[in-house]
Amino acid sequence: MSDIDIKRISYLAKLKLPSEKEEFYSNSLKDIIKWVDNLKKVDTSKTEPLHNVTEKTVSIRNDEVSKSNSVDDVLSNAPERAQNFFKVPKVVE
Amino acid sequence: MKNSISQIKKALIEKKISVGELYDEYLAKAKSGNNNSFNLVIDRDNNISSINDSQNRYDNGNPLPLDGIPLGIKDLFCTKGIRTTASSKILSNFIPNYESFVTQQLLNDGSIFIGKNNCDEFAMGSSNETSYFGPVINPWKNKNSQKDNLVPGGSSGGSAAAVAEGSCVASMGTDTGGSIRQPASLCGIVGLKPTFGSCSRWGIVAFASSLDQAGPLTNCVEDAAYVLNSINKHDFNDSTSSNHQREDYLVDINNSFEKKIKIGIPSDYLEDVSDDILNQIDNTKKALSKHGIEFVDVKFKTTEYALSTYYILAPAEASSNLARYDGIRYGVREDGESLDDIYLNSRTKGFGDEVTRRILIGAYVLSAGYYDAYYRQAQKVRRLIKNDFQRILNEVDFILTPTTPNEAFKIGDKLDPISMYKNDIYTVPTSLAGLPGISIPSGLSKNGLPLGVQFIGNYFEEKSLLQLAALAEKELSFNE
Repeated sequence: MSDIDIKRISYLAKLKLPSEKEEFYSNSLKDIIKWVDNLKKVDTSKTEPLHNVTEKTVSIRNDEVSKSNSVDDVLSNAPERAQNFFKVPKVVE
Repeated sequence: MKNSISQIKKALIEKKISVGELYDEYLAKAKSGNNNSFNLVIDRDNNISSINDSQNRYDNGNPLPLDGIPLGIKDLFCTKGIRTTASSKILSNFIPNYESFVTQQLLNDGSIFIGKNNCDEFAMGSSNETSYFGPVINPWKNKNSQKDNLVPGGSSGGSAAAVAEGSCVASMGTDTGGSIRQPASLCGIVGLKPTFGSCSRWGIVAFASSLDQAGPLTNCVEDAAYVLNSINKHDFNDSTSSNHQREDYLVDINNSFEKKIKIGIPSDYLEDVSDDILNQIDNTKKALSKHGIEFVDVKFKTTEYALSTYYILAPAEASSNLARYDGIRYGVREDGESLDDIYLNSRTKGFGDEVTRRILIGAYVLSAGYYDAYYRQAQKVRRLIKNDFQRILNEVDFILTPTTPNEAFKIGDKLDPISMYKNDIYTVPTSLAGLPGISIPSGLSKNGLPLGVQFIGNYFEEKSLLQLAALAEKELSFNE
């Protein structure tokens, strides 16, 4: 197992770990990855990955228009809104 | 002994109690809040129209299957107009505009929600200690150290404690790796995880989508059948919802089996377990042998890989599912100068330690260079685990295991995540295989704490699984 770059992983997960906690999470992650490493010894050369455990065919519904959420419903939990939009800081200069 | 749903319905039909009086009785217990089993309790005034409608149906002689029954709902199910938090800071202000499929079925059948049960944050935990709203306390005490507060198990710990303390008749939980069965066992009640794909995941705050499944926590097996009858339906809004024909789970539940039944006990599950746990298996075996049920030894080949597989797949799926919490569309936003700062600050401050840890594990095993070695390999091993179960279920009708490797432990006792994860050693394999499992109380430990056994059945065969569990329950005659 190679070393874990906790800064890179946390950035991928969009988390900004406080520096005093970086070591805590880094050690914890190392322990867990070491613990799950036993899977590497299982021979799966002839095994397909399993995605949906019951492997029942996905049922398809008719493509019918139905009314669901209104704009107000969708925006009702927004921390900040402006008219019919979610409001965020400026992203384009 | 607490009243079952059929006993309560009988009392309502015979007018020994009104729907309002029944609600008040449970509400008073829920409000006392000694065990922190609810994140939110719903006052009678806010349920008054449901209570009146239900009473009218009783008065008119046509009550619905769950009419007037006060239920707890794990705070992971979206409930329209009622705060739904997943016991997380990041969702602590979230009020859904829609009702989850499962809770809608329960409402359609006349039940009344008494409140939202505390749980581990985003259902990640085995002790209910990761909740933003504080730990839930198990109503049971160790008879040798009465003052210690014990965990109820998790993640549906609030649901299990609420049913055990009598503040709701039954509660809806969810189970990803044991989150219904493990707390049911530690609180001395019944917990059923149906086959994956039985009950729609629509409107349940997602943890690991290939594993999450809704199910009831109840006082008795018959109550589990009542709830399952209501919630086990096909739903187009969940693409993994199975569209097979459902059965009536109450019919025949107390009948004996017509054919000879064979149950497998995996001997590898019982290595190094305590006498307390072995006794549960022995007692169950003795009780059921009287009914001509045969027990045989079975051997899994994949048990040692189950937890590793789970702790790759579940965090990977969680890391993807929890990407939606960004502080923009709903949930708690933390200030930041740029959009990216809002994302980073909202997520970092909004998630607790265990959720952060699992997101990091997930991000790691899905990241470039590790995806094949961890995530894809785990998906392949998952197939081997499923095949292993299918091989054994070709030889036997059911599998009997302990539900947990130990009794309820002290709050704050297990600090190391891996030792916490090992709590789910008997429930995780079933979840990975997608099979139905039920935990029923089987006896008490030396410390006077409840323990349970788990029966595992074949895909979508909840009917015979409940029938077996009802028979075992009767024979083990567990009483407080």
